[in-house]
Amino acid sequence: MSHTLRADSEFDAVEELHRLGCTDGLPVVVPTPSRVDRMVLAAGVDGDAALGTMGPLQGVCTVEKLAGAAVMAGCLPDHMPIVLAAARAVMEPEFDLTEMQATTFGTAPLIIVNGPARHLCGVAAGFGALGPGHRANASIGRALRLAMINIGGARPGSSDMTLLGHGGKFGQCMGEDEEHSPFTPLHASRGFDPEQSVVTVIGTEAPHSVAHQADADDPTSPTRLLDGLADSVCAHGTNNAWLGRGQAVVAITPEQTAELAAAGHDRQSIGEHIAARARTRDGRQSFASADDVLLVAAGGAGLYSFTFPTWCAGAHRNRAVSVVVDVGQACEVPWY
Amino acid sequence: MRDGLNAANRGLPAVALVTEEFWPQGDFVASAFGMPGIPRVQLPHPVAGTGVENMRRVAEKVAAEVLAALEGSPR
Repeated sequence: MSHTLRADSEFDAVEELHRLGCTDGLPVVVPTPSRVDRMVLAAGVDGDAALGTMGPLQGVCTVEKLAGAAVMAGCLPDHMPIVLAAARAVMEPEFDLTEMQATTFGTAPLIIVNGPARHLCGVAAGFGALGPGHRANASIGRALRLAMINIGGARPGSSDMTLLGHGGKFGQCMGEDEEHSPFTPLHASRGFDPEQSVVTVIGTEAPHSVAHQADADDPTSPTRLLDGLADSVCAHGTNNAWLGRGQAVVAITPEQTAELAAAGHDRQSIGEHIAARARTRDGRQSFASADDVLLVAAGGAGLYSFTFPTWCAGAHRNRAVSVVVDVGQACEVPWY
Repeated sequence: MRDGLNAANRGLPAVALVTEEFWPQGDFVASAFGMPGIPRVQLPHPVAGTGVENMRRVAEKVAAEVLAALEGSPR
């Protein structure tokens, strides 16, 4: 069982959680025992089950503690299977969580959701998917952050040494817009069945905007777009250019996926183009293979796509991890 | 939308051309600026970058609607 605190009111409880450093600086939903119990039921796994450890504190992440973080973040029970999968992902060794939490770099887990769970949980993939206004995206991303604070012990200036941080450290979660994408879904490209629900999690910088005006009368237009994405993801000063041999995420919006598909490109050829062009500061190829460029179809229709450079450090160079979202184990849980 | 609203506010005949992806935003802006009836004509999305020939086809398709909106504006 987790430790239980007492307070005279919800207001006092929130203030006490702020005082104890258990929040991300914003008010939280108070994780009362009954709320946490219901969230554990939504996980479909015993509350005492240990999922792994979260560094740098090396705290044991039980389902109950994770459920507490999900309650605090404002999650609905339907969101819990995605939170559970995302937590499992960041605790895989390849994610380098302990080092990532402690680095001076500005990096945060980006949770990309594929498959039917997006619709079950209402995960947005279009306009503003990474911004405010989408409850599932905001709550799921925040739940993982609150787990990393309270179970992993990451606190700014003492254990989380990010020099500045970025907005995505409050939470970064979005779906892939599979329905408007001409490409194979991300999870299918990583060996999963397209009908499975999967989270792919990777520590990233905040998104960099890449402007591109398509020109159907210019046959070089698709190549200009790909060159722009490669130059952005490996721009001067990024760790992909400084260290290299890491991974990165490229989120391409619908007008631009359509332009690339019309030019005969698919996920593989886009990754190959970017991997071939993106260079480190000393002229080496930054990405070891096209698979290290994680292409996601997401966002609204317009002139911009987005790149997410990464830290490229840690024992495994901060690699993406994909985990199946088990949506079949939970019971239907009443809420409020 | 803002250009159309500004022109209409100066008493000039105006019609805003709004692509289908941005149509809800057009409604929002028109209401927010107190001119929910500002004439607007929907274009497919995208128009920019789709080539001179396609843009000409789009223009020919909506020209009559644009003229009709201008004759009736401002509402």
